Amino acid sequence: MIKLTIDGREVELERPVTVLEAAKRVGVTIPTLCYFEGLPNFGGCRLCLVEVERLPKLQTSCTLMASDGMVVRTETEQIRAARRAMLEFLLINHPLDCPYCDKAGECTLQDLVARYGPEAGRFAEGKRKHPESLDDPIIVRNMERCVLCTRCVRMCEDLQGAYAISVSGRGGHSLIEPFSGGRYDCEYCGNCLTVCPVGAIMSRLHRHSYRPWFVEREVETVCGYCGVGCSMVLQVREDSIVRTIPRFGLGLNNGLLCVRGRFGYDAVDGEGRLTTPLIRVEGRLEPVGWEEALAFVASRLGEIKDSHGGRAVGAIASGRCTNEDNYMLQKLMRFVIGSNNIDSAARFHYAPAEAFLESVFGQGITANLIPGIADSDGVFVTGGDPTAINPVLGLQVRAARRSGGKVIVLGPPGGLKRFVDHELVPMPYSDEVVLSAIVGGLMEAGRSSGENRAVEERLKELRLPSEEELSAAGIGPEALARAVDDLLKMTNPVVILGPEIMDGARASKRLFLVGAVAYLMNARIYLLSERPNYQGVMDMGCVPDLLPGGGPIGLEMLRDRIEAVLGLRVPEEGGLTLFEMVDEAERGGLRALYVMGEDLLFSLPDRARVQRALGRLDLLVVQDIYLTETAAMADVVLPAAAWSEKDGTFTNLERRVQLLRRGRYPRAGREDWRIIADIGGRLGMEKTYRSAEEVWEEVTHASPLHAGLGYSEIAGGGAVWPYHSEPLKGTEAGFAVQGLGELPGVEAPGGPYLMPERPLFHSGTLSRRSRALLSIHPEPYLVIPPSLSEELGVTDGGRVRVVGAKGTMVLKVRIDPDQREGTVLLSNTFEGANFAGLVGFTADPVTGCLTIEDNTVRLERVDDEAL
Amino acid sequence: MTVHELIRKVFFVEILKGLALTLSRLFTRPVTRRYPKEKRPAALGFRGLHALVRNPATGEAKCVGCGLCAAVCPSRCISIYTSEGPEHQKVVDRYEIEVLRCVFCSLCVEACPFGAVVLTPHYEYADYTREAFYMTKERLLENWDRFMGREGYEYFERFWNPKTSHFSTPRNQAVFGKDR
Ligand code: SF4
Ligand code: SF4
Ligand code: SF4
Ligand code: SF4
Ligand code: SF4
Ligand code: FES
Repeated sequence: MIKLTIDGREVELERPVTVLEAAKRVGVTIPTLCYFEGLPNFGGCRLCLVEVERLPKLQTSCTLMASDGMVVRTETEQIRAARRAMLEFLLINHPLDCPYCDKAGECTLQDLVARYGPEAGRFAEGKRKHPESLDDPIIVRNMERCVLCTRCVRMCEDLQGAYAISVSGRGGHSLIEPFSGGRYDCEYCGNCLTVCPVGAIMSRLHRHSYRPWFVEREVETVCGYCGVGCSMVLQVREDSIVRTIPRFGLGLNNGLLCVRGRFGYDAVDGEGRLTTPLIRVEGRLEPVGWEEALAFVASRLGEIKDSHGGRAVGAIASGRCTNEDNYMLQKLMRFVIGSNNIDSAARFHYAPAEAFLESVFGQGITANLIPGIADSDGVFVTGGDPTAINPVLGLQVRAARRSGGKVIVLGPPGGLKRFVDHELVPMPYSDEVVLSAIVGGLMEAGRSSGENRAVEERLKELRLPSEEELSAAGIGPEALARAVDDLLKMTNPVVILGPEIMDGARASKRLFLVGAVAYLMNARIYLLSERPNYQGVMDMGCVPDLLPGGGPIGLEMLRDRIEAVLGLRVPEEGGLTLFEMVDEAERGGLRALYVMGEDLLFSLPDRARVQRALGRLDLLVVQDIYLTETAAMADVVLPAAAWSEKDGTFTNLERRVQLLRRGRYPRAGREDWRIIADIGGRLGMEKTYRSAEEVWEEVTHASPLHAGLGYSEIAGGGAVWPYHSEPLKGTEAGFAVQGLGELPGVEAPGGPYLMPERPLFHSGTLSRRSRALLSIHPEPYLVIPPSLSEELGVTDGGRVRVVGAKGTMVLKVRIDPDQREGTVLLSNTFEGANFAGLVGFTADPVTGCLTIEDNTVRLERVDDEAL
Repeated sequence: MTVHELIRKVFFVEILKGLALTLSRLFTRPVTRRYPKEKRPAALGFRGLHALVRNPATGEAKCVGCGLCAAVCPSRCISIYTSEGPEHQKVVDRYEIEVLRCVFCSLCVEACPFGAVVLTPHYEYADYTREAFYMTKERLLENWDRFMGREGYEYFERFWNPKTSHFSTPRNQAVFGKDR
């Protein structure tokens, strides 16, 4: 126990902390400039000086550890004079252009000078000059204003882990500079902007249009880009969003954001936002009024239902829409139209992976808290780069490594490159060999508790690879043994699973093996989610065989409950998955499709086939915020309200239900749930809803998972699944795994494999509507390994023609020395240059996930003159 | 009633006294003004209609859009919208004052570091519509031309004491370190 006195107040400390923190505990605020909570201490600005009895000089309280018997004073004349002097030194070089500076009003230096003076400087020499650097599209650097507190550098290195900026120059000429020179070449998280106490580095998005006191409203909401669900604050002036910022102490991201969340908010204001409903008249989409459009959709849906039955109608829900939107779509399909044909793009990876793992280990196996990752002493990552797919979750992995945890990555490490202890990059499609070997190694060490009989039974069937097979898969047996050794040492491990684990044949086997790794190590599993609400889509029953609450449709208890709540019947007949709907449409069995917030034509591979299937429909209704390629094919297009324009809830990958709040009124569209409820009303749905909250109210009655969870409870935070009950772990049902006993070699392909890139700066097609994100990553490119560039004779930025099984594209190349041999990458973001446009697909027979087929491509150099 | 009183009553002495005063006033100068024919000049520092100061060098408004006037305004009647111009400079797109809400405290004038907003001596702006009291940037500049003009600068220098000088590096300072 440490006892000290600060400004006459007694402080008792359990553990030693700095004097600054000790003072904070008793409510004494000491002014600081270079200190920032959560960053390592620096002690450079000397504003936090305090007087300590029996110490001859003033001490910096941010670095001085409190010790027993200290008597500290924080505001004496001597201290004030010292602070005034420090500030005068800082102002020697500070331009004092506050009237032009966007930071004015929330600038720490301004506040300190206002409090401690000096009124005028005595330094008669000149100030240093540095023209503002506008080389970067997002971040403007004004180094005249920099006070060299190094908060930005510490943020970039110690929390973000990007190591992109540093202090360069010496003495009075020191300044902050990215290693890449004028333009940043970094992760653009913008977290350095949050910590800069002055206006030295700032966002260009609100440049010269922001003043803190012009902000009329601040709305706490969650990010709409990925499944982490970071909390953020929208600052609104006159119904337009001036900027989005994170807030320390708010949400699981606690003050951090990634590039998409921080800068991508203008995606809802892109060109070509839909403004009015459109109906196809003589082959062209013509604007019509809402009444007409809704009546048309309702009457056509009604006709098709009457003539072909409910099974001829299908719907696609959206991981970008709220729980309320998805619930309402599900209600329309199941209870008004009478069809279980409802699915979403969660079908590609997320939903099948979760369903499979739950069938093995019980419901809720992937429901683990993100902040827990940083506390673990070991992380096993496979199936994708968490720092690109779910960046803020990726930071937790980096944090775990920093505090001494071991990180093992199976697959290309991407943004974890500097943070891996064991980098296991197998040959393409050989992950199962390595996984089998890891599981083999863990079992050999006697890691099995016997807790899950079914799993252990199945593991006995597993054929383990020989050393040759392992080497052929690209991993040396010693490297693997070292990795397994470290896995065995972990006491509190975490397994992070990305969507790429499902790529290729036998997805069930790889999933089972990763699950087995987690089981044998007793690890927590996290499933990366590319959309903000894939989990919510599943929880709301937008899966053919699940009801709201995520329970199987066959479960009578659940059926009875929901039928009693709604007074409506669940249809008997089983529903179709997304892929089956495409097949069925192609065959002519599905006559109408209602697509909410999904661009099927763009996100599904084999465009020709999807186009054919959609073309055969009698009715295609698309509800979206932009005229996507799918919408351009539709018979009716309904403009929807976007992420920042509606209230509702998202459920993130840890199953935390969070409130999405409206920042401003929709420019044109209506909330998705409202449109659907209006159509439902015309088809005989009796219940009406006035607000998203009323829809949610119904969800809390219909879904056992969400029972009793009102908006007010959600707003308090911590609404993490399973809300008012015990975890449902241990309800294992039967499960099937394909090919455990075999280990087929991978045949040498005829060309490199084309793999999907999941870029940090983009998220599906939404992000390409954001001017800010586009300015960072403006155009598509094909990532190729250096060996391939030599073979083809192309240089960085040159062009190649990519000939795939389902299409041909001419693309710019980017040579990446870290790119895995035998593979090339392309993102699925840009029109006319997307991954899905080149490859074919089928559905995995066991899990039902998306399996990419025919993805070996041929590359030919294209000389620019030939273009 | 005494005889004395009777005489005063019969000869209307009181009334005559009064009339004498009236008569004497006919020969003195009147104290009232014949407004609107005759106008009273406003005293120095009178807080009348707002104006934005025109920079004589550029002919544009001096205002840089720092927003301090809007921040200090107790009735929140100033709205300013700025953006980035083609040269990356700060551009004031809109500067608006809703005069009907103004309490003429002149805090805006005192807050302005550039002496870019003033209250002119002009007070005759009664009108029939609300719009007439909604001052846009153009109208405010026009107010300057109309009501301050060239004399305005002097009025302004003497009375409002701009603080511009506090915000710039003194001209006699050397400048070093022009690297990069
Ligand atoms: S934006 Fe993020 S990655 Fe880039 S310099 Fe700032 S902190 Fe570092
Ligand atoms: S740029 Fe800002 S955060 Fe970075 S050292 Fe300068 S003042 Fe500090
Ligand atoms: S990590 Fe995901 S939720 Fe968080 S800011 Fe980035 S995109 Fe948004
Ligand atoms: S005079 Fe006072 S009330 Fe009127 S605009 Fe200026 S600050 Fe606002
Ligand atoms: S305080 Fe002066 S410079 Fe600033 S916005 Fe107001 S009028 Fe313009
Ligand atoms: S805050 Fe302690 S030295 Fe800067």
